[in-house]
Amino acid sequence: MSNFIELKNVKKTYVIGEQKFNALDGVNLEINEGELVVILGPSGAGKSTLLNLLGGMDKVTSGSIVIDGKNIAKYNDKELTKYRAEEVGFIFQFYNIMPTLTVDENINLIKEVTKTNKNSKDVLKSVGLSKHANKFPQELSGGEQQRVSIARAIMKSPKVLLCDEPTGALDSKTGVEVLKLLKNQSKEKTTVIIVTHNSLISEIADRVIRIKNGKVESNIINKHPKNIDEVKW
Amino acid sequence: MVSMLNKKMFRDIKKNLSQFITIFLMILIGVMAYSGIEAYMDGMKKTADKFYTENNLQDLNVSGLLNHKDLEEIKKIKNIKDAELKLSINATTDNDKTLLLNCIESNNISKFYIFEGEEFNINKKGIWLDNFYAIKNNIKVGDTILVKYETLELHEKVLGLINVPDHLYDVRDESELYPDRKEFGFAYMSINEITEEYIKKNVMKEANISDINLFNLIFPDFNYKEYIPYNTIMVDVNKKENINKVKNNIEDKIDNAKAIIKIEDTLSYLTYQGEIDEGKTYVGVFSGIFLFIAMLSVITTMTRVVKNQRVQIGTLKALGFSNNKILLHYISYGFWISLFASIIGLLLGYYFIGNVFISLEMAFFEVPNGSPSMNITSYYVAIGVILVVVLIAYITGRSILKENPAETLREKIPNIKGKGLNITKKKIFKKLSFESIWNIRDILRNKMRTFMGFAGVVGCSTLIVCALGMLDSMNFFVKLQFEDIYNFKYKLNMKENINNNELKELYKKYGNKTSESLGIEIKDKSEEREANNIFVTDAGNYVRFVDKNNIIKEMPNDNGIYVTYKLAETKGYKKGDKITWHIYGDDKYYTSPIIGFNKDPQNQNISMTKKYLDSLGIKYQPNALYTNKKLSKEKTIENIETIQDIDNLKEGMQGMLSTMKTMLVLIISIAIILGGVIIYNLGILSYTEKKYQFATLKVLGFKDNQIKKIFIKQNNWIAILASIIGLPLGYYLTDWLFKTAIEEHYDFGAYITVKTYIISAIGTFIVSYLVSRFLSRKVNNIDMVTSLKGNE
Repeated sequence: MSNFIELKNVKKTYVIGEQKFNALDGVNLEINEGELVVILGPSGAGKSTLLNLLGGMDKVTSGSIVIDGKNIAKYNDKELTKYRAEEVGFIFQFYNIMPTLTVDENINLIKEVTKTNKNSKDVLKSVGLSKHANKFPQELSGGEQQRVSIARAIMKSPKVLLCDEPTGALDSKTGVEVLKLLKNQSKEKTTVIIVTHNSLISEIADRVIRIKNGKVESNIINKHPKNIDEVKW
Repeated sequence: MVSMLNKKMFRDIKKNLSQFITIFLMILIGVMAYSGIEAYMDGMKKTADKFYTENNLQDLNVSGLLNHKDLEEIKKIKNIKDAELKLSINATTDNDKTLLLNCIESNNISKFYIFEGEEFNINKKGIWLDNFYAIKNNIKVGDTILVKYETLELHEKVLGLINVPDHLYDVRDESELYPDRKEFGFAYMSINEITEEYIKKNVMKEANISDINLFNLIFPDFNYKEYIPYNTIMVDVNKKENINKVKNNIEDKIDNAKAIIKIEDTLSYLTYQGEIDEGKTYVGVFSGIFLFIAMLSVITTMTRVVKNQRVQIGTLKALGFSNNKILLHYISYGFWISLFASIIGLLLGYYFIGNVFISLEMAFFEVPNGSPSMNITSYYVAIGVILVVVLIAYITGRSILKENPAETLREKIPNIKGKGLNITKKKIFKKLSFESIWNIRDILRNKMRTFMGFAGVVGCSTLIVCALGMLDSMNFFVKLQFEDIYNFKYKLNMKENINNNELKELYKKYGNKTSESLGIEIKDKSEEREANNIFVTDAGNYVRFVDKNNIIKEMPNDNGIYVTYKLAETKGYKKGDKITWHIYGDDKYYTSPIIGFNKDPQNQNISMTKKYLDSLGIKYQPNALYTNKKLSKEKTIENIETIQDIDNLKEGMQGMLSTMKTMLVLIISIAIILGGVIIYNLGILSYTEKKYQFATLKVLGFKDNQIKKIFIKQNNWIAILASIIGLPLGYYLTDWLFKTAIEEHYDFGAYITVKTYIISAIGTFIVSYLVSRFLSRKVNNIDMVTSLKGNE
């Protein structure tokens, strides 16, 4: 497998008042296509910053981020928008689905930014939400809402699926269901990157990256990732 | 197919219905107020123009003792299309009402608009009556009324109810402002109704012949028609630009022409035009301020709506929506709402405000078929409003989109720049309480929001002061005119050509305090002449003079003339300047020095004493007599044309004031609603921004009431300061309105009582306080965990 994602000396500095804060301080990383990657680290370590940079939601201060052979660190706003629309899927801790659109409409929203040959019904079926297609998000449980978020992300068949604490707001049983869906995606060649505090999730990952003080502390390939059901949550 | 974003928009609007209804209503009210007043003003103009054109309003009125020869001479003058003779007299009716009776030969100039009845015909015996007068006195076509003039008593059948283009506004006397249609109206009849017997009697009286045989001997071929004392020739000029030329020609050629007055200078035309001009200023000011305040509230609401969608904007960005697409989505919220609101505002403005106001005006002026007219500027204003709303959505959306998506996905944490706040670290601030310091810093951080709130409350306070102040000022001027200047109970308007014996008889009964009104022309340095009048007083203390500060002056001196302040200001007259003038009908010019100024709220003219008039060698012929004798039971007095009771004049003014009150209540209500909405919107915005800090304070153990106090304090400061600023602005606005909007011949200014200022300030503060109080209840419901979680 070639290096599908490659970060070289990535720095991200925030200026707050007169003080500078290095959220990422020279990150170097390689991730292969179709891997399920778990990024672990304490609060303020730079996990979310890394995810935002990978998703084209923020810009590096210096360094390069090559994804599928293209350095997105050099992209302008327009190119980044196109990148987000076509190549990345996001899953947020608090789902961020449009409260005034139904489940089906939330998923079809993607069709307004990119072409997809997927059918929303099939996607909803794959996440087990067929019955809820016409419901509004408020009528669903937290787990179901997160599944809407996943369905929306996979509707566009993204190359990379970026998940920020996807199970953070869910109970363990629902969290497991969500992780199963994410694992399935990685099996379909989508690179899934999960940022989390929960180190148990690392047991199912193909690769585990630990971040501390804006630097990569370790980047380990898990040679024997466990099946989700094998993990004691 | 409706796109997902459009679906989102409709549902977002439904979800935030109260906010969008606010935007909708504010735009609707603003556009409705503006377009309504425009439609009504424009409607007034177009209605009159149509009436003037279709019914052929004359261009000039030639006054004097005129006859058919004069008419034929005038008709020969170049550029004259047509001319007609008219005899206008003040007649009375059987129930002692006054009728301005016009006797005519034909009706091609100032043609009747007939509501009911038949067209004018010289051979028809009967009378065509003022439609309003007929309605007020319940007179119908076919009824017979008695018309009396001197020895003439005519029983006339009503042949028609009419409007006439030179009788849009008629008052019995200049001292009346408000027409009393029940007591005074106009009427037309054929000149043939003036009997030969009556004319003959008059001619005999003038020639001092009492024997009819002698008369027949002296006037063997007496044709009474040649002796009819016509006093007006209405002249229709072919083109507007020829009017001055024609006027000069008539002056040169017609010796009997005492005065030639352009129709634009006649009371009916001037008053109607004045109402339109006055309205135009009101359009600019009131509807402008409404629109401004309405837009402030729309801007604040729209900003609030878009800012509340911050995380959704971030999510759309994360999903790959382009900035333009997101902006378009948020612009469309404002666009559709403002488009619908503007369209409905335009329609309601036209059909509701326009029609209501036109009907009010048409109850005052006699113009048929009054209807509003949509003015093009209303469309521009509506488009402008839509553009502003779109721009606000654009600017707010843009400011959020400028941030990167990662940032947008987080709740906004107040942006604190230390430098601007350094001032609050200085010594003087150290003595202030925590709440005060906190609020000062909050204001410094949110200057724009504070300014908008401030401007909204200032506007609200200004409008309240202005609305109440207009009422105060009008009441003040009623007092000034009818108590300070007019110091009599009755004014008796004498008949023309009254002889010395008759005068003496009147003096004996009612005293000898009199005055004379002289129609004059003033010649300026460039030989241009302008019509005016001189008030010659021999009324002693019955008609007093007041100075600029409305203080009663001592009696005028006898060695020159007095000019009203406004006339002096308009013409640039100074004390010591000399004015050259002549009386209509007399070519002799007099030059008089200005020895002082006086204020007259209703007429801008020249005054002098009888003694000064005598010194010029001009015969004093009084036409009004003032008395304090009780005349309530006397309906008619010999040689007196009309009796005017000061209380009735005052009542007439009060009638006008009560109409004004209704309008002012409307203005104040709208001002309060708009002001309240702005304060509420800004309060919500400010609360949302502070929620995080309030949650922190709550976590730290602050009680709800302490937090509420912090919140209310800032709004109170703004309300107090803004209402104080609004007070003088209200004064200046009222003063400006009275000075510029009101017709030229009035001299009003703002006179606002302390009570009004106090009521306005307290009223504004109470509105602001109640809204803040209402909003502060939200503090009770702050969920500390959720509020703080969004700001990891």
